[in-house]
Amino acid sequence: MSHLFNHNGANDTGYSQPPGLTCVNEATVPSGLVRQHSARWPRLSEPEMVRHYTWLSKRNFGIDTGFYPLGSCTMKHNPRVNEVIAQLPGIADIHPHQPEHHLQGLLSIFYEMQHMLEICAGMDQVTLQPVAGAQGEFTAIRCIQEYFRQRGEDQRTKVIVPDSAHGTNPASAAMCGFEIVEIPSLADGRMDLAALAAVADETTAAMMITNPNTLGLFEADIKEASQIVHDAGGQMYYDGANFNAILGITSPGLMGFDAVHFNLHKTFSQPHGGGGPGSGPIGVKAQLAPFLPGPLAARRSPTAQESVTAVDDYWYHWHQPEHSIGKVQQWHGNAGAVIRCWAYYRRYGSGLKTMSEHAVLNANYLRHAIHREAKKEGVSHLFVDGAETDVAKHEFTLSMQPAKDALGISAMDVAKGLLDKGYMAPTVYFPLVVPECMMIEPTETESKDTLDTFAEQFVEVLQTDAETLHAAPVTTPVRRVDEVYAARNLCLRHPFEDSE
Amino acid sequence: MVDQLPNRGREAEMLQSMGLQTMEDLFIDIPADVRFKEELPLRGPQSEEEIIADARRLLGSNVDMGARPSFIGAGLYRNYVPAAVFQLVTRGEFLTAYTPYQPEVSQGMLQAMWEFQTLISELVGLPVANLSLYDGSTAAAEALTCAVRVHNRKASQSNTVYVSELIPPDKMSVMENYCQGAEIIIKTLKHNADGTLDLGGLKEAAGSCGIYLEQPNPLGILDEGLITVKDIIGANTALIVGVQPVSLGIVEAPGHYGADIVVGEGQPLGSPVTGGGPLYGIFACTKPYLRLMPGRIVGRSIDVDGKEAYCLTLSTREQHIRRHRATSNICTNETLIALMGAMHMALLGPDGLRDLAQRNLAACQRTKEILSTTKGIEIVHTAHHFNEFAIRVPGSAKDCLNYLDDNGIIGGFDLSTWYPELKDQILVTATDQTTLRDIEVLSAQLAMWSMHQGVSA
Repeated sequence: MSHLFNHNGANDTGYSQPPGLTCVNEATVPSGLVRQHSARWPRLSEPEMVRHYTWLSKRNFGIDTGFYPLGSCTMKHNPRVNEVIAQLPGIADIHPHQPEHHLQGLLSIFYEMQHMLEICAGMDQVTLQPVAGAQGEFTAIRCIQEYFRQRGEDQRTKVIVPDSAHGTNPASAAMCGFEIVEIPSLADGRMDLAALAAVADETTAAMMITNPNTLGLFEADIKEASQIVHDAGGQMYYDGANFNAILGITSPGLMGFDAVHFNLHKTFSQPHGGGGPGSGPIGVKAQLAPFLPGPLAARRSPTAQESVTAVDDYWYHWHQPEHSIGKVQQWHGNAGAVIRCWAYYRRYGSGLKTMSEHAVLNANYLRHAIHREAKKEGVSHLFVDGAETDVAKHEFTLSMQPAKDALGISAMDVAKGLLDKGYMAPTVYFPLVVPECMMIEPTETESKDTLDTFAEQFVEVLQTDAETLHAAPVTTPVRRVDEVYAARNLCLRHPFEDSE
Repeated sequence: MVDQLPNRGREAEMLQSMGLQTMEDLFIDIPADVRFKEELPLRGPQSEEEIIADARRLLGSNVDMGARPSFIGAGLYRNYVPAAVFQLVTRGEFLTAYTPYQPEVSQGMLQAMWEFQTLISELVGLPVANLSLYDGSTAAAEALTCAVRVHNRKASQSNTVYVSELIPPDKMSVMENYCQGAEIIIKTLKHNADGTLDLGGLKEAAGSCGIYLEQPNPLGILDEGLITVKDIIGANTALIVGVQPVSLGIVEAPGHYGADIVVGEGQPLGSPVTGGGPLYGIFACTKPYLRLMPGRIVGRSIDVDGKEAYCLTLSTREQHIRRHRATSNICTNETLIALMGAMHMALLGPDGLRDLAQRNLAACQRTKEILSTTKGIEIVHTAHHFNEFAIRVPGSAKDCLNYLDDNGIIGGFDLSTWYPELKDQILVTATDQTTLRDIEVLSAQLAMWSMHQGVSA
């Protein structure tokens, strides 16, 4: 083990700084505010620090390490040129409060991204300000809230979500102050129009739903659902977590939605970074646009003076929506993430549809390969599809309930067995509507060979005896971690006290 | 385009194995009436080298702060991040990992974040820290809602919080958006003419759920009065302090003068300004807030062999378990930027942090000394400043900044953007990256502009 807080060798610091500026009078803090005890930070030289973090990195699994079929997370390859671009001084070393004529390049990229996302989503206006998907949800629901307040429809206090929704949907709507109405899914995992019709009324502010849904199925009745909510006077919100399935094929606008968020870290390859940063732009139809957080990137013809510093035929400027809800992040959102995703978009341009086609191709291919392989090896009775369907979209679910009933092998056991085979495990126990669920999303950036091998290995795990699987993983840096112990014996920081 | 899609050219083979003929067969479940009829009206694809050429052209047209004397800060600070941080953070095992839901293969990031929690905990003087919120503004906003969750039952001013009147409107707006859903009333705390908090007026905040102040405050002032605040407001009102983390190398940690929650913009430790994002929000608190706080937390545990191991813990607060009853909707956070922060902190060590803080303090002081002798320029507040201070110019701050810009200087931040009545004040920021030459150039041009305004030389 390498422990950061065991390093106390270096005399000075791992980074030697140049001397500060000399002042006439000594620079001091008020006497009552002088720090009395230094933070007990470690002391490492640069070589020690580099080795520590390299050691840590080797105990972590990323897409670069191996296949990462984590459903609903879209773990696609992250092109490295995007990282190079994000470190250019024209993005890394700019301040959001600099005047517009210092930021023409940034504004033009923002404008291009807003425009591209508007086209892909079939929406009238996009803002790039929300910094994560959940914040996008929150922002859009806030806009819908203000829209109804302005119309004097304060009685619209409820937001409808299907029981298969991502947890962020009800959490975001609740943060805005809405009451959550959860509707059950049908037995096949699809949306229940009758259940929706039964709850949609004059108290409905919005319905939040993702399509394809969290089972990876396209809700063919989506236009009818939009109609029901619109007839009740509510707005339709599209959770864009599953956008990777539909780019260039269909759009939330065509399905009748009024607002949508994107997860740029899913669909547009901003690296997930072990949990963030992300970027969660939202797009809305015209009636909600005046409420968006500001400012937005806008453009017009340049004046003669402006044309000297213009980056193309336009002058780019910030624009404040008329009835803006204000800000959800203090600056302009995660500009650095937007730049990376712009570089990713440019790679495909109008060919984004090919990306989605391959995402869906790979998901369906893997689903077939697993079923085929299981049949061949005689273990096809150990799992069933999470939902009956001819074609899945970018992801699919399997229920391990039969394996659990027959052999005592749970979805978690299979997941841990896959870790021993050198894979990241699929998402487990989500969506909640599928018992012993495994949710598998290969993405478009995995080769057929990788998918074939994974199918074989998946089946091999199912052929492993239960006892071995209960003990898995055994090849990983640590074995099964005791999460109950962690919660009961809270140790949330290095316990200096013990070592003193 | 082929370079990102390994199965280009193998589509037919793959489709055939599923008994399908065309790609279209994969989309039969999407009704025709919701289908795009035509290709997306977007530009054509580009190669990597074309993209990087366009990026250089477009981003190269931005004026980066390093290219000229820059005195703009106002919440984000130009700094030097050591090279090792960038080299290490782009290791694919960190960069391309997801949230560590499978702890057995995520020990690296989990341990790094547990270490981050410890570094922050030590820095701010509080026992608990999470592994980041989005930025300083959302951290402050979530601190307010957290304080209400903890204190509302006993509060004589229920659903009420107080916030310093100096907080910038953009940050205030984030707080309002986060608070309105819970019907939290935000009242303001007055400041004296010298920029310090009006301690006399503070009594009215006692009995509310919490108060939010910043140290240094938005005008760069280190306010000694804050060390008495907790005694005035009492145990049942949360003291929330927003910090510039570098300052804590020499300025007392708020946890040591009674803060219950400390938040802040983590950026100056580990991250470039990056146009305002991605950044990372610091969130630390005392134990009574632990189970009602937002964000992810890593705990140290053991594996089945009793070996030291790390995992996410206290997840029952979070949206994926608690859904609409969660303490926050946050899911994706800013882990990788927090990791950059941890790496920077590890390299600095306690002495390095103190030196870095002292350099920032001295840069500010030197700038103040030179501008105090610059013709026409007045330092608005007599105080100890960290990073930044307000100056009064003889005329419109906007005109002055435009003049400086014409002469190749990013002169600071026009304070009328925050406080409309202050038409002639500029917030001037100096950091460890400020040079004596930068300050002299600024001083000379300010003197020149003042002269144009009729101030005699």
